[in-house]
Amino acid sequence: MNFDFKGNKITATALLALALGVCVVAGREFAGNAEMDAVFPAEGFQKKMLSDYFGGLKGHPMDTPVFVQEGPEPGGSVLILGGTHPNEPSGYVSAALFLENARVARGRLFVIPFANASGFANTLAQEASPNRIRFAVLDGSVRTFRYGSRDTSPVVMWPTPDIYIHKSSGQELAGNESKNLNRAYPGDPEGTPVERLAYGIMELLRGERITLAFDLHEASPEYPVVEAIVAHERSLELAAAATMELIGQGIDMRLEPSPKNLHGLSHREWGDFTETMPILMESANPSQGRLRGRTDEALALSGRDKAYLKAAGLGRLFVPYDENGKPLEQRVARHVTAINVFLETLSLFDEPNGVSVENMPGYGEIVEKGVGAYLRKPNRESNGKPN
Amino acid sequence: MGVITLVYRGILALVLLLTVRCCYEEKNFWKQATAALVVVPLLLRLFMIK
Repeated sequence: MNFDFKGNKITATALLALALGVCVVAGREFAGNAEMDAVFPAEGFQKKMLSDYFGGLKGHPMDTPVFVQEGPEPGGSVLILGGTHPNEPSGYVSAALFLENARVARGRLFVIPFANASGFANTLAQEASPNRIRFAVLDGSVRTFRYGSRDTSPVVMWPTPDIYIHKSSGQELAGNESKNLNRAYPGDPEGTPVERLAYGIMELLRGERITLAFDLHEASPEYPVVEAIVAHERSLELAAAATMELIGQGIDMRLEPSPKNLHGLSHREWGDFTETMPILMESANPSQGRLRGRTDEALALSGRDKAYLKAAGLGRLFVPYDENGKPLEQRVARHVTAINVFLETLSLFDEPNGVSVENMPGYGEIVEKGVGAYLRKPNRESNGKPN
Repeated sequence: MGVITLVYRGILALVLLLTVRCCYEEKNFWKQATAALVVVPLLLRLFMIK
């Protein structure tokens, strides 16, 4: 078969018109990914922006909503940060569950569901990640969340250096880590967009005198720090008590002390540069792992992958793994339950700074009924836009 | 927008123009198609969409 076609000005015009059409279709989809996912806060939440704490983010694509609910009784303050890495959905979905269900009885609850807003508008080349994940809500409607990337979008932040030097420590890391929020703390008010974002979060922690702060993540099943709590030395005793309680409830959890010489991460710098007790938590997400096969919404939601099943058989994973995979509802249930246990433990350890949050579903309820059962139906009055 | 971003987008615009010119001057259909494919990411980045 001969494919040696002659080209001319007409074919060139036709091909370029086709390319322009592809640009329009792809461009509309990419531009849609930059729109913040709709969330529908429970009664009592007030919406602020991170730029209210650090003006350097005002009007910048890195600015992100902060929701706060204050209970009728005085107490401490807790921050739940989701979406540091937008390719780790149990983190931001768990934050959304708190935002849409929590009733604060004591103290204050701060929720940032989409910490790195720019990362939600970005997918990394060659990762083949799904654009969105969907949940059926009880009334039959569908809620969606974007599945983004670990990195800040190159549209917002570029160029990427060959070597990323963490400013406050001088630590050297691979250049792509310069776009990672969880390598940017304590941030820099005059720095790159992600350093300014990190600085804004530090300002919130300092300004609101946050007692206990959670940074919710996921990790690959073949990564050693998975289904784990990482705690700064200031929060280690609290974390040890919470871990024992979780294990007592049948939820296996590792406890890792935050390495003192690993800089830029929330569990280190939040503790070193603010008064808060930092906790980072990891669930197991096969859709971000290196061993995975086809990467689609089904994998992100079910965590079922035959390559991971084989790896588990060979003893190469750091978590139990079988043909049931690692469903998102189980990963979200781990985060939600662990936070609830931490709050109960905080009230025992530091009674004046205790925080009490009611109306959150338990582990078994989330696993049995699914995440969609605890997401609110889209509010048509707000046209599905974030409140 | 910083100066470095303006320079970057200027370079992008130049490469885009050269690619379009190449597409019109090329006599082989498949090489024209290759040039048209290259235009897609250049345009998306020039307008800072992706």
